[in-house]
Amino acid sequence: MRVFILLLTLLAFSSAENYTFLVQPYSKEMELEAKIIAEIATSSVREKIELFIPHMSEMEEKIYSRYFKLSSKCETANFVFVNKAVENEILCDNTNRLFFTNNYRKLLSDEKYYGALFWNKSRPNIVFIKKRLEKRAIELPKTFDQFIENF
Amino acid sequence: MSNKPFFKKPLYFLIPVIAISSILGLLLLSTIKLEGSIEKKIFEISTSDVFTIMNNSATAIQSLLKESTNYPEDIKKNRLLQHKIEENLKVLITPNIKYAYLLYRDERGVFRFLADASKQEEKALIDQKFDVESPEWLSLYGEKKALMIQHTLLHQLSMSYLIPIMYHDKIELILAIDFSIQKIEEINHIIHLMQNGILAVMIVVLIILLFTIIQSIRFRAVKKTAFIDKLTNVYNRNYLQKYEDFINLNDFILATLDIDYFKKVNDTYGHDVGDKILKQVANTLLLTIRNKDDIIIRYGGEEFLILIKTQRDGHLNALNVIERIFRNIQEHPFAISNNETINITVSIGVNLVPHKSRTFSEAFKLADIALYNAKNKGRNTIELYDENENIHNTFLSLNEIKEAIEEHRILCYYQKIVDTQTQELSYYEALLRIIDKNGTIITPDKILPTIKGTFILRNITKEVLGICYEQLIKNPLMSINVNLNPHDIIDETILTLLKNYASEPTIAPRLGLEIVESEDIAHRDDAKNNLLELKSLGYKIFIDDFGSGYSNFIYLTEIKTDYIKIDGTIIQKILEDKISFLLVKNIVTFAKEAHIKVVAEYVSNEQIYDKIKSLGIEYCQGVFFSTASALQNHDEDKLS
Repeated sequence: MRVFILLLTLLAFSSAENYTFLVQPYSKEMELEAKIIAEIATSSVREKIELFIPHMSEMEEKIYSRYFKLSSKCETANFVFVNKAVENEILCDNTNRLFFTNNYRKLLSDEKYYGALFWNKSRPNIVFIKKRLEKRAIELPKTFDQFIENF
Repeated sequence: MSNKPFFKKPLYFLIPVIAISSILGLLLLSTIKLEGSIEKKIFEISTSDVFTIMNNSATAIQSLLKESTNYPEDIKKNRLLQHKIEENLKVLITPNIKYAYLLYRDERGVFRFLADASKQEEKALIDQKFDVESPEWLSLYGEKKALMIQHTLLHQLSMSYLIPIMYHDKIELILAIDFSIQKIEEINHIIHLMQNGILAVMIVVLIILLFTIIQSIRFRAVKKTAFIDKLTNVYNRNYLQKYEDFINLNDFILATLDIDYFKKVNDTYGHDVGDKILKQVANTLLLTIRNKDDIIIRYGGEEFLILIKTQRDGHLNALNVIERIFRNIQEHPFAISNNETINITVSIGVNLVPHKSRTFSEAFKLADIALYNAKNKGRNTIELYDENENIHNTFLSLNEIKEAIEEHRILCYYQKIVDTQTQELSYYEALLRIIDKNGTIITPDKILPTIKGTFILRNITKEVLGICYEQLIKNPLMSINVNLNPHDIIDETILTLLKNYASEPTIAPRLGLEIVESEDIAHRDDAKNNLLELKSLGYKIFIDDFGSGYSNFIYLTEIKTDYIKIDGTIIQKILEDKISFLLVKNIVTFAKEAHIKVVAEYVSNEQIYDKIKSLGIEYCQGVFFSTASALQNHDEDKLS
């Protein structure tokens, strides 16, 4: 727990000079999110990551492309980050790719997601589900232990 | 201009600037401190209510759990209890408090939700993990008391306040609220308002300070100009008036300098040349004195006051400076035109012991006495004030003169003015005398220098006029001339007195007014008008000491004088000095043409009398005919 808090703090401090939230609040929040997703994705997938974000905005494309190779299709991606709520959306299956969400409830309800990064009480929160990690044979570094839930 | 300590000491300027800057600095420091305290106080005031309510909520939650032995498990199991707690937490939510929630920490050290007052879409689930952003959260378990955490990295939250809920001295639950940034923005807004207010006050103080400094500098510059005589570039009388009390009499010797026969220069060559001479004399003075130590002040037309700084080894150096001034002026040819020069001499009176005087005026007076002596000894000399010599020649003090007026010890002596042809009495000239407390008769040379330029002189004139008026009333055949100085002519009280006397029909024609010739009369319309008015009342106007100073023929016609009295010093030299003779002859010729009668003073022997008679001068006065004396009874008998 302490380690991760420190990790987050360091991460935040390392780019503290860029925290001009009042100027571009959305991009700065998204920047932090992208950094955390990059950390999670590289810790979860061994190959080079090709990220797919459904309905990716221009801003997301600009920011995430700094950390990932972006894929325009779900099928060609090995890491899918679902960060928008779209009703009855049909995406590609989770064979050969990992699904990550920004919604805790979606994580709980949908088996295809192995983890979530979401904003809880204005703080970034990360949750991985142990069984789903095991099912996908994902071995996260020890520093992620605090975020693994044993449901 | 010479450097003077009164103007040039930078400390006089620096000390107030440093003092004001220090005050400003202190003000700034105390303002910063005050600002910090106020900020803290505002924060306390703004949050104290919230914290009290939170403590009440924590107490309420604890009372809901009073039956419980395991708070987290009992809450998780009991939905009704969860609901009650959440209702309790909802009370805390305000526009400033964004979140209120209840947490516990599991065996792995992970924080988990037990209750959340947020709206449905943001509401955390029971047992949902909560990643805290700061290690400070963990310190709560060490301190076991309420904790405030300020957020510097979270852009929607400003701070969190955590209250531990204990069971058997162990923290079981944490009641947490998150303040939105709105709260801190409100506090910051108040603080900024206060900061701006303080800043505005500081700017105003600074502007006032700068304005004061600029005005002081300007005032000093203006003041300096006001103290400098424009013509000669030395200090003027204003400077003396302003600083005489600050001059340390132990540090200086005082000298008064008068240009000899300066009026003659003016009369002969005109005022422009007179001004030129004044400038050159002043320049010579400035070049001769020691710039950093000595002070030159022009206190009258051609009169200068010189303050020479004395050294520790005595007066020798200071006297050398006086001597150098005297010689330099004596040897310096003074230009009156491009190719013409004249020689000028000066008389100097020196007071070597000004420190013995109580005031600057007293010390100045003694230097003036020395100057008076220098003039009496024939001018072109330096005269030191000698205490012993002046014991016998002491001037009456102002107080002695005032007392004499109050005690009616003023009297007049009378000297005859006779018809030259018949040697018969025509008029008397009234001459001022004071009887001192010992009964000694004091003559004007010991009275007038003390009261010159003071209101006492006017009072003396009024006393003399009163005495003469009584004589004229008492002796209807008597005619008396009274001496007036130019300032008396423009004095309203004296003018009124003379108008009153003239209401008696026989007084004005028998009271002659002798006025010393002066530039003041020539240049002042009011003086001229007053003289004409007095003349119209029947008074006879005599211009006294003509030829000694101003001697302007034109103004004689302007003021329509009846008589001129030729200066006695010229008459004295009439036998041996051809220029004096020619001067008298020309005055007489002019006077005859202008129908002005002439009186010759200082007729002391028969030879002079014969010369006067041969020149056709109408009246004579002098010891050859009579000395000045009190009116004898037999004289009064003849006149009544």
